[in-house]
Amino acid sequence: MLPNFAYVRPSTLVDAVKELAKPGAAAHAGGTDLIGCLRDGVFDTKSVVSLTALKELHGVSATPDGGLRIGALTTLAEIARHPEIAKLYPALAQGAASAASPQLRNQGTLGGNICQRPRCWYFRGDFDCARKNGEFCYAENGENRYHAIFGGETCHIVHPSDTAPALVALEAVATVAGPNGKRKVPLGKFFVLPAVDHKRENVLAKGEILTEVVLPKAPEGARGGYRKMRVRGVWDFALAGLAYSVVVKGGKVERARLVLSGVAPIPWRVAEAEKVLTGKALDAATVKAAVEAAVAGAKPLAENAYKIDLVRAVVEEVLTAIPK
Amino acid sequence: MVELYWLQGAVPETTKPSPEMPPWKETAVVGKRVPRVDGYDRVSGSAVYPRDILLPDMLHAAILRCPHAHAKVKKIDVSAAEKMPGVRAILTAQSPGADIPWFPRRDKPSTSIFDQHLRCEGDEVAAVAADTLLQAQDALKAIKVQYEELPFVLSVEEALKEGAPVLHEGGNRVAPPAVYERGDLKKGLSEADAVVERTYTTACEIHVPMEVHGSVAKWDGNRLTVWDSTQGVFAVHETVAEALKIPMANVRVIGHYMGGGFGSKLECGKYTIIAALLAKVTARPVKLFLTREETFTMTGNRPPNKMSVRLGAKKDGTLTAIEFLSTGTGGAYPASATTSFMATDLYLCPNVKSSDENVFTNAGRARPFRAPGFPQCAWALEQAMDELAARLGMDPVELRLKNIPKTSQRRGNQPYTSTGLADCLREGAKAFGWNEARARKKPDGPVKKGFGVAASLWGYAGGPPSTVIVKLFSDGSVNLNMGAADIGTGTKTFMSMIVSEELGVPLEKIQIEHADTGTTQYTAPSGGSKTVPSDGPAARAAAWEVKKKLLALAAEEMKLPVEELMLSGAEIVSTKDSTKKLAVKAVKGLERQQVLVGVGTRGPNPEGKIVTPFAVHFAEVEVDERTGEVRVTRLVAAQDSGRPMNRLTYDCQVFGGLVMGIGLARTEERVLDRQTGKMVNANWHDYKIPTALDVPVDQKVVAVDPGDTECNATGAKGIGEPATIATAAAIANAVADAVGVRVVDSPITPIRMSQLFRERQKKG
Ligand SMILES: Cc1cc2nc3c(=O)[nH]c(=O)nc-3n(C[C@H](O)[C@H](O)[C@H](O)COP(=O)(O)OP(=O)(O)OC[C@H]3O[C@@H](n4cnc5c(N)ncnc54)[C@H](O)[C@@H]3O)c2cc1C
Repeated sequence: MLPNFAYVRPSTLVDAVKELAKPGAAAHAGGTDLIGCLRDGVFDTKSVVSLTALKELHGVSATPDGGLRIGALTTLAEIARHPEIAKLYPALAQGAASAASPQLRNQGTLGGNICQRPRCWYFRGDFDCARKNGEFCYAENGENRYHAIFGGETCHIVHPSDTAPALVALEAVATVAGPNGKRKVPLGKFFVLPAVDHKRENVLAKGEILTEVVLPKAPEGARGGYRKMRVRGVWDFALAGLAYSVVVKGGKVERARLVLSGVAPIPWRVAEAEKVLTGKALDAATVKAAVEAAVAGAKPLAENAYKIDLVRAVVEEVLTAIPK
Repeated sequence: MVELYWLQGAVPETTKPSPEMPPWKETAVVGKRVPRVDGYDRVSGSAVYPRDILLPDMLHAAILRCPHAHAKVKKIDVSAAEKMPGVRAILTAQSPGADIPWFPRRDKPSTSIFDQHLRCEGDEVAAVAADTLLQAQDALKAIKVQYEELPFVLSVEEALKEGAPVLHEGGNRVAPPAVYERGDLKKGLSEADAVVERTYTTACEIHVPMEVHGSVAKWDGNRLTVWDSTQGVFAVHETVAEALKIPMANVRVIGHYMGGGFGSKLECGKYTIIAALLAKVTARPVKLFLTREETFTMTGNRPPNKMSVRLGAKKDGTLTAIEFLSTGTGGAYPASATTSFMATDLYLCPNVKSSDENVFTNAGRARPFRAPGFPQCAWALEQAMDELAARLGMDPVELRLKNIPKTSQRRGNQPYTSTGLADCLREGAKAFGWNEARARKKPDGPVKKGFGVAASLWGYAGGPPSTVIVKLFSDGSVNLNMGAADIGTGTKTFMSMIVSEELGVPLEKIQIEHADTGTTQYTAPSGGSKTVPSDGPAARAAAWEVKKKLLALAAEEMKLPVEELMLSGAEIVSTKDSTKKLAVKAVKGLERQQVLVGVGTRGPNPEGKIVTPFAVHFAEVEVDERTGEVRVTRLVAAQDSGRPMNRLTYDCQVFGGLVMGIGLARTEERVLDRQTGKMVNANWHDYKIPTALDVPVDQKVVAVDPGDTECNATGAKGIGEPATIATAAAIANAVADAVGVRVVDSPITPIRMSQLFRERQKKG
């Protein structure tokens, strides 16, 4: 059941930051993740600070240099059906469309999707795990079929977001407002590995708010998308997935961005595979080399070696389908 | 006889219904597609479910549950909780009157309401009643319990190991293995030209009904009224009276609407007794509904099973031997984990051996789950049949057609009143396009199509007792009074249709009073697909009696012999001269009496014969050989459940059954943490029931009606459970057809498929 908490709805960003800097405050966008965490007793809160009255966080608009600015409160449903996003940034549109369920996409926001807490069943359940206040990661020797094959170490969560991998692949930059003003953080540097700090998933400091995400101008001729694999057809997190943006010119790969979902505590960019592809023709040998590079260094737990197969399969499937 | 463990103790037999009702021929109402009579109430929100009950002064209760898989309560301190705002009462094992054996109806109760020996996560430790639910739940957190944690066992193998932690006095075996044998298995195997042998497992599934479990209890002096979300008000009635040691006459249980049960609401829950105890000590009505999370661990499951199957057959497909050895665990308290029945009865075979072993483990107790044991059996048996067909180079449909029995070999070789098994195979195959599908060429791409079939029977088809009362009022309207719950299956609608069929009264003129132990008559809980074949004939008998009385009155007034009269709509008409007629409302005798009452009872089942529903399911799947993703793209269900009562809800039952079968085949699995014994996926997104996107749009129901005139007075054999038994096995067979990989462990996820593809690659 929900614990007791105060609810505030500041109307300016400055007030919101002030409220959030107080001990035990939590930001509330769509609430689809936050309320679940509170109800399940994952963490406690003294006050819930609604962001919904903050004008700066709304809206989708073009940037002067041909990119797109998406306010943090834009819902997943809005992103999924936005014609510009679908055309220029299909990986993001498909990521948003494949998250959760229609109801949740109508309510859940992009900011919330990026900042949502992990779905590890030990973290969410009645287990005092390392990411809470406990000593160890239960997944290490426990029920770890859905856990990480990359970057686990002290905690084996996978990052739950379906939009974040696309944002990393698209080289999006987040704007963060906090007690010390605004700063810009590329999505590729937004997420935090357990080895750095296993109590948080991103770089946001106390009182900081993600206000918007800015997408740079989409590269000419880029092919992109998001392919998600899951147990059931909807209302299910990724077993593994691939967000990609690839530019092929004159028969050669000019630029490739491949970011995996569902396999690591952060959206997992496979830079080695990107390197293998760059400057090469997308022939069978190159694809095979990229596939191998994508899974190199995977450290499966007892029950999740299948994720290596899924990564292989999805990288091959996606690259093979790109017109040479 | 199939173990009907939801019907404990002696079942009272009722007398034969007095009139011999001839079987229906052409019907005017029965068998048509009729929308639910309470559909508007259900979708508009005006239907009051037990969870909706609000009474003046009502308190809200919550239960403190054991957080460990196995523990003992050392000390419990409620002093802080008692002082919290709104808290009205706290119950623990020490509270006066709370030491109630559980289950009260069994000879040897294995536990009590607040047993201090906690055998699984979720066992009841204490309960609080407070002014609001939040206050009650806050108070739970303030109760200090000191537990002694004990080692636990989660699997059959662990439970049977030397020195394993013991759950109950007498060890972890619930009973000695139940063995059945006929003929000579060894001989049968030695006569076989082909033998297949394999071990299969099915994962534990949770019922997850829409409405959570719970009750509202209210005392008036020494009389107790309970509103319960239940499949059987009379089952709850009996248990409440026995547990509280009060006369049954003082207890009234009401269950007008309920939001699904699938077997998990066939018996009285501890929560009902706890609500009644709290209501007693506070002298206030008490509402106690479980949280969604509690229902995952504490209200039952389809037990996990492991089944080893051996089949032997001659070159021409004639079965010579069936061996089916099953183990399972019904969890921490006695509950069946039997699966073998269907394997010993579905196919003609002289040499059969089966065994069922059931073991205690520190996990939630199993409850009957839509066709208890049968889908598991089909998963193993029907995959083995598929493999046997491949071994023999025979078509899987042909192999099954070769082994159709006319008698129930398991039940004393008594003949079936009807068997549509062969017709289900033939007509289903035709509707599915089986021959064409299996003859196709495999595509080259990574996504492979496959086609599978599985057959089934269900081991029960209703019986006495059931009493239904029909009243015809002087204005021609009718009251239908029955004990059965409508658990979402459309009971009220088809029962009204039966009455309408006999009396010619339109459905709008029939009012229903049901599922109330204070005002309706005994019937067994709605389980085992019994409501149509048990309560339907009683309704017909009641209407028949009313009709007989009405015709007798009319005959007197029309001065015609009663044999010459028939009821046609709202009129009584002479069969010899149709100009001689009398409106029902004009029957003076009816006006004088104001009401004609008919009491109908369910007569016994036919002597020396067995009534059995059959079904054959066909599945088409697509399997991505790279990712192991599996999609079910098409299903056909050919059902012999006898005469359909309401073809609309009949089809709905089948669609629902297919969806549940997809859950078993593709998505559902309880996961217990091996380190703590706690369930890690006790919520609605980690425990994955199928969604709309997991269910094919293309689903077809073929109703095979063998015209059974012996089974009972309606010709119907029950559809709810036969609709889900074969589905998962048909899907698994389709997967094997698609990619040549046999999936022995449910569910078929990309996780499983990847592992199997890896193994296949290793073997080369
Ligand atoms: C059943 C279920 C299934 C789901 N399946 C998927 C899935 O398949 N794929 C997927 O990607 N997601 C999935 N989700 C997650 C869902 O997409 C997120 O809950 C949603 O996007 C969060 O958005 P929100 O606005 O409701 O966030 P909230 O619940 O309001 O916030 C989530 C978290 O982010 C913080 N936060 C929110 N906005 C900001 C901000 N602007 N700045 C700083 N911090 C912020 C909050 O403090 C909170 O901790 C699922 C969720 C549920 C409940």
